[in-house]
Amino acid sequence: MSSLAPLEPGCVALVGGGPGDAGLMTVAGRAAIEQADVLLVDHLAPTGALAWAGPAAEVIDVSKLPRGAFTPQERINELLVEHARRGRRVVRLKGGDSFVFGRGKEEVLACAEAGVPTRVIPGVTSAVAAPALAGIPVTHRGLVHGFSVISGHVPPDDPTCGLDYAALVGAGTSLVVLMGVANLPAIADELLAHGMPADTPAAVVARGGHPDQEVRAASLDRIAAAATGIEPPAVTVIGEVARFAVPTLAPTHPTLLEEIR
Amino acid sequence: MGRVAERGVTGPGDPAGHAPPYPVGLRLEGRRVVVVGGGHVAQRRVPTLLTAGAEVTVVAPDVTPALEGLAGGGEISWERRGFRAADLDGAWYVIAATNDAEVNVAVSEAAEERRIFCVRSDDGLAATAWTPASGRYAGMTVAVLGNREPRRSAAIRDQLLGALRDGLVDVRAEARAPGVTLVGGGPGDPELVTLAARRAVAEADVVVADRLAPRELLGELAPDVELVDVTKLPRGRAAQQEEINRVLVERARAGKRVVRLKGGDNFVFGRGFEEIEACRAAGVPVEVVPGLSSAIAVPGRAGIPLTHRGMTHEFTVISGHLPPGHPDSLVEWEALARTRGTLVLLMAVQNAAAIAAALVEHGRAADTPVAVIADGTMPVEREVVTTLEGLGAAIEAAGLRPPAIIVVGDVVGLARPDGEG
Ligand SMILES: C[S@@+](CC[C@H](N)C(=O)[O-])C[C@H]1O[C@@H](n2cnc3c(N)ncnc32)[C@H](O)[C@@H]1O
Ligand SMILES: C[S@@+](CC[C@H](N)C(=O)[O-])C[C@H]1O[C@@H](n2cnc3c(N)ncnc32)[C@H](O)[C@@H]1O
Repeated sequence: MSSLAPLEPGCVALVGGGPGDAGLMTVAGRAAIEQADVLLVDHLAPTGALAWAGPAAEVIDVSKLPRGAFTPQERINELLVEHARRGRRVVRLKGGDSFVFGRGKEEVLACAEAGVPTRVIPGVTSAVAAPALAGIPVTHRGLVHGFSVISGHVPPDDPTCGLDYAALVGAGTSLVVLMGVANLPAIADELLAHGMPADTPAAVVARGGHPDQEVRAASLDRIAAAATGIEPPAVTVIGEVARFAVPTLAPTHPTLLEEIR
Repeated sequence: MGRVAERGVTGPGDPAGHAPPYPVGLRLEGRRVVVVGGGHVAQRRVPTLLTAGAEVTVVAPDVTPALEGLAGGGEISWERRGFRAADLDGAWYVIAATNDAEVNVAVSEAAEERRIFCVRSDDGLAATAWTPASGRYAGMTVAVLGNREPRRSAAIRDQLLGALRDGLVDVRAEARAPGVTLVGGGPGDPELVTLAARRAVAEADVVVADRLAPRELLGELAPDVELVDVTKLPRGRAAQQEEINRVLVERARAGKRVVRLKGGDNFVFGRGFEEIEACRAAGVPVEVVPGLSSAIAVPGRAGIPLTHRGMTHEFTVISGHLPPGHPDSLVEWEALARTRGTLVLLMAVQNAAAIAAALVEHGRAADTPVAVIADGTMPVEREVVTTLEGLGAAIEAAGLRPPAIIVVGDVVGLARPDGEG
């Protein structure tokens, strides 16, 4: 089905909002926002995109703010179904891509169970774009033929951490860590313990694509120290490609990528 | 009012005889702007103010959840109470957007006293400033100030922006610095192109396009834009890339804005970094507009999430252009097989059977679900679901050809639950 086909009343569209600048949203994503009766929006979704919503559209912030109220995923699922059942066009707007650590499939499955049709509009994931906007290619000919994207929200020694760090070190791919700011020291130690060389280049890109994007680069054994004070959202790239890090490669003139109204 | 009419300064189309507004663009970066009211009008104004760099303070006992989110995230300050005249101290601009006329009057009066321009959502006539219907395109702001007929202004604004987007107005007249922009065009569906990518292409003097770049975008190019089709350049990987680098540098040096348009994202097996290095070596400015990589968007549109809570918290995107064991291969297939995440193979149709065998040999279950999606997001998309052990035969039986994405892992089983449209 065409991504631009009009949203049917009672349908939920999961829209990937990209890393933060509304200009990195897709044509289809924007069209969905323009048609929405209600938008359920995350903390990392591009705020500039809300200006495209119609004047009567309701905007519901479901974000898990650091100090604010925690909105459990089940409640978000319920809200999606409730609004759709009232015959509204529902847009679920998230940061990045809905299927990259976005819990998007849980929402699709909850809707399916309730008989609510869904449409998925992919977005630019921060896993690739945040490094790119800092000059880091996740792959580079002759250097590396793949990249692994992992979640760092659980420390490596936690029994619920399902990652095999030894295998990841052995695979020889660029490593991209999401949700890993707090556990960066433990993750770096784990990689070193499994034989990744201490001088492997690494870089942390915080708020990629935002006007206040910040990049810290250091060797693997020093990256955690170098990243002191960095706040999420940030991605960490570990591997030869990280040595190409620069402060920003985003279009700077005219100043923003945005095209809003 | 009478005074204005007497002086005969009648605004066109203004039967009441008011002078037309004086248009101006406020540069609000770092300046205090006060929005009184926290409802839907305020919510619609705040993002535009933030884009302009204003330091926004919202004064209202209650605000919408979206505004609450902005306050929680530190993007605006929120005074959680009723309006006080002193709120306007130090402000450069004020928006009175409560649904209580008395409060709006109080805000207007306090603003008037302090000589601050003030917009009113309830009574344009009583306001000292109006908000135009506005939009941005290619670094320009288009603003329409109607005669307090917001619908008409919005309609005219939409038509103007539409004309700009459709290329009916030549935006390249606006002088832009020459240079190269690497633009990711997404997986193929023209609707999965980013707005920034569209804009970069619309502003280009030269477009250097790959075979997998979204063709529809090229159809919209103005007749005088030079289109360099990479597939027509001399064959052979090395020679072709050198020639591309040469064209990029040469055109940029001739003062052109050059867009290098590719499928997917520039940095996911896109050789984008080689082009950046060539531009840097030649002193040519270069920028990057990330795109939707087919590695993520193609499975996504087919309903396959690369991660899923409780199932997998990692994925690896890998090139299969060399078979396992090839001397030039940079992939350690044995270790890769031992990772626990989803595997996404690009450029792997040819070597699929050999790769599947290596993965099974090193520990992935032979019955691991696999999806092969060819020409993803395009009208001719084809998909086959199989297992690692059946992969080679399935590709052959279906006659699948590149470009295709191969997804290996349990997430494939989540693809299309009943009821998903
Ligand atoms: C819950 S995950 C969601 C990822 C999202 N679905 C995506 O595809 O980008 C949140 C993590 O994404 C990363 N992230 C999101 N936006 C980012 C940005 N603009 N800059 C850097 N990292 C970002 C951070 O690692 C953050 O902890
Ligand atoms: C040289 S790589 C370039 C990838 C591109 N830079 C990206 O991010 O999507 C070409 C490979 O991408 C994959 N590919 C690109 N577009 C695709 C599509 N629409 N459907 C399936 N696979 C695609 C195929 O594996 C193809 O062999």
